Amino acid sequence: MRVFAASLAEMWFSARKRNRLSPDEATAELLLAGRHLGRHEPASQRTLERVLAAAAGPATERELAGETAAVTAFLAALPEPEPARRRGPRRLPVLAVGFVLVALVALCGTAEAGALPAPLQRLAHQAINAPAPSPAMGVPQPSADVTPGPGATGSQSTPGSSGPSQESRTGKPSASPKPTHTSDSQGNGNGQPTASASATAQPTAIDNGKGNGGTPGQGGSPSDHPTGNNGNSRN
Amino acid sequence: MLVGDFPEVLRRAAAGDASAFARLWRDTHPPLLRYLWVSAGDAAEDVAADVWLEVARRIGSFRGGEHEFRGWLFTMARRKMIDRHRYEARRPVSPTGNGELLDRPAADDTVAAALEYISTETALALIATLPRDQAEIIVLRVVVGLDASAVAQIVGKSPGAVRVAAHRGLRTLRERVAGATVTSPGRGGVTL
Repeated sequence: MRVFAASLAEMWFSARKRNRLSPDEATAELLLAGRHLGRHEPASQRTLERVLAAAAGPATERELAGETAAVTAFLAALPEPEPARRRGPRRLPVLAVGFVLVALVALCGTAEAGALPAPLQRLAHQAINAPAPSPAMGVPQPSADVTPGPGATGSQSTPGSSGPSQESRTGKPSASPKPTHTSDSQGNGNGQPTASASATAQPTAIDNGKGNGGTPGQGGSPSDHPTGNNGNSRN
Repeated sequence: MLVGDFPEVLRRAAAGDASAFARLWRDTHPPLLRYLWVSAGDAAEDVAADVWLEVARRIGSFRGGEHEFRGWLFTMARRKMIDRHRYEARRPVSPTGNGELLDRPAADDTVAAALEYISTETALALIATLPRDQAEIIVLRVVVGLDASAVAQIVGKSPGAVRVAAHRGLRTLRERVAGATVTSPGRGGVTL
């Protein structure tokens, strides 16, 4: 209730304050707003009205004389924001094309140097005649993918590597023979595992021996029986 | 004032249309020049050129109607004018060291001229005899056509303080006009 009474009192005071504008202040507000005063106003007020009306009068020739220079300056100042607006969207494609070009050049250079991973190098070999992937490359590749070259010649002195490669060509399983030959070539038997491995390697060696002109695995006479020789060589 | 045409004119000017900018300039430059002439004296033309250069650079980022545009432009003008005053205060070029008195006309001569033939120049010269803050506020209200709130924002005062300054300025002007009227031969004196 007190709040309501206070707000009512405040409204009354503000209304009274508004109405208490002196005649001079009310006239001043009219003059400032550009309104015309009535004929009943004193002459000084009407003279003041004429002064203010003259101050707000239409543009003079002298004031408008600089239009050409202003428009010229405007046109000269405009190009600054304009290119900035255009550069944004245009820069991106240019940068992208530049980046792709640099990446392509780097890729081609790497391919020509033969330093790409084997699958990529093979692809580059087919596409741009880059060097073919070398057998030494591609460390993570399984030996089956790497060995065909040397194995085909049959002149490998390391028996461990040629054996499995031929087997893989003939479609035989290559997992068990490989350790066998390796251990054999080292000459120091590991005992039981070697013997069993050589046993599994025997038919393979025989098959291959017929086709490839000798078993390279045992480093000596191709006609020797692998199993017996293996046993003997170890001893 | 461009009123209804303003949005289209502004849009075209912001897009770089020279004719639209020229229309904006023709509409706004005279009051700008009058404001600066009263507030900055002889430097008015130079300050106005600076203002329009900045308008040209920033018009693309302006958003608002015609009253907001005028408020924006005259705020810019006032800032540049103050910068100029500070610069001149640091490096005074007047041999007397009192440039303010030199670039403001004498009240008696101006009033007499204003009452003989009230041209725009003489009316502005009469207003320029007021204290600078009062003259500035009266020009912004009467010549530029801004209300008390908009003027308050430009000059950094409250609307009430703007009203008081404007009323005082008008009262002073009226007294000067009345004094000149009393002393002028052939005119009836008026007591206020």
